[in-house]
Amino acid sequence: MDNEPAVAFEAATKAYGTVRALDDLHLTVPPGETVALLGRNGAGKSTAIGLLLGLDSPDSGRVRLLGDTPDRAVAAGRVGAMLQEGRPTPRVTVRELVSFVARTYPSPMPVTEALALAGLTELADRRVERLSGGQAQRVRFAVALVGNPELIVLDEPTTALDVEARQEFWDAMRGYARRGNTVLFSTHYLEEADAHADRIVVLDSGRLLADGTGEELKRAAGGSLVAFDLAGGPTEWLGTLPGVASVEIRGDRARLRTDDSDATVRALAARDAIRSLEVAPVSLNDAFLTLVHRTHERLELAK
Amino acid sequence: MITAYVRLEARRTLRETGFVISTVAVPVMMYLLFTNLGGSDGTDWKAAAMVGMAGYGALGAALSVGNAISEDRTTGWLRQLRITPMTPRQVVTGRALTGAVVVLPSIVAVLLAGALVNGVRMAAWQWVAVAVTLWLGSLPFTLLGIGNGYRLSAQTTGVVNVACNLGLAVVGGLWFPTVLFPSWLRTISEYTPTNRFAELGVAVTEGTAPGAAALAVVAVWAALFGVYAAVSYRRSARTV
Repeated sequence: MDNEPAVAFEAATKAYGTVRALDDLHLTVPPGETVALLGRNGAGKSTAIGLLLGLDSPDSGRVRLLGDTPDRAVAAGRVGAMLQEGRPTPRVTVRELVSFVARTYPSPMPVTEALALAGLTELADRRVERLSGGQAQRVRFAVALVGNPELIVLDEPTTALDVEARQEFWDAMRGYARRGNTVLFSTHYLEEADAHADRIVVLDSGRLLADGTGEELKRAAGGSLVAFDLAGGPTEWLGTLPGVASVEIRGDRARLRTDDSDATVRALAARDAIRSLEVAPVSLNDAFLTLVHRTHERLELAK
Repeated sequence: MITAYVRLEARRTLRETGFVISTVAVPVMMYLLFTNLGGSDGTDWKAAAMVGMAGYGALGAALSVGNAISEDRTTGWLRQLRITPMTPRQVVTGRALTGAVVVLPSIVAVLLAGALVNGVRMAAWQWVAVAVTLWLGSLPFTLLGIGNGYRLSAQTTGVVNVACNLGLAVVGGLWFPTVLFPSWLRTISEYTPTNRFAELGVAVTEGTAPGAAALAVVAVWAALFGVYAAVSYRRSARTV
């Protein structure tokens, strides 16, 4: 059992009408890993999580959770989850709600511990519907972890949180992961994925674009950004330079994303286009955009 | 697990001011008004009206389970329950049991008003038997509420439940005795679950055995509402 992956998508595909929300996804997460599912809105993150939790079933392919079907893993109390949508459940206190959820699991953690982990000790006797957005979000986190599950799934867990609450949330989550639990969370914040996950899985249009650490993603995207002043010069030729993956013009400044900065700079120098030349490694943000951009080009070609 | 769920949901329901007013305060008030205005109608009427109003309160409380379900679909609570180890079947069973709990205040309150204010006198076993009959007899209405709650949107459920509540109460003769109805309406009334449900309770207050026709009509409605609840639940429980 211990060798079973915590999460396994095997060629999972799901369409809603004509939209392919998830397209032939292969993904394996070993136990104990913290994985970020990164993508823009509509990239397929929530669909993937829905399939993972057995809220929906794939049109083809299959999804395994802790070596079992999602339904059975959920029924066995091995999974906890924090869903994205939903309003607070009215007319219950925080403690009543969390205690009830604890009772549905076979070996929950003490309720006071879950409340403390989620930073809710002070709010335990407040009605859930009277909490602020960030506080309600923490209640959902407490609900996800009180069952003491092996795998916790968080769908955009920090959307309603301010900066401070976000930091507290990640501290709590890391505490939970350190106990050897598997964490899978979705986000559209790159910094968040980079800072809190062992591994980043990038989704776009239902496809897996990249899978690796933040460093690996930067490398895969083609390490550098070359910028210089156009000084009123032409721009059409920039895309044809060696190594250049994409071109962006901001005012009089050109920003080239390149796989091979040496070749690009040499080509620019040959044309004497080196005013205020700057070469920098891409940020993860740029890496992400490059990956998305490249895939779209590849898809255009395939058509 | 189900016990914990029923406790949570019953608590949530009883904390709703609107629920307590419409299923406890209103039936008690209507009972006392209808039986004490316009001179004395005799103790038989006070006992029969007591059963009718307790039944009316229980009907409203049972249907309210449907309002709760559709609300929980909207807020995402049912979806959250799906990712706990509770199965959807346990959830719907828990809901039905919650119905059985939340009808009790209405029944007890109106019976108390009958005994303490209106001086209705019966043997101890009759009090118990009336309460139990009303309690068990409200199950079909819980099923009707569950069917509405799983099938309809939150707003529609509210409207449909109010229509069911008033329609079944008035036509079934829970408010006014059916002897006041024109004969065609009385005929319709005899086929309603509410009329027969009250008939069972009234039989107990009179110390007679309930009629076979009444039992049959209630059983048929219970089966119909049960199927309705099961079909609605199947259609939506996997997609909440």
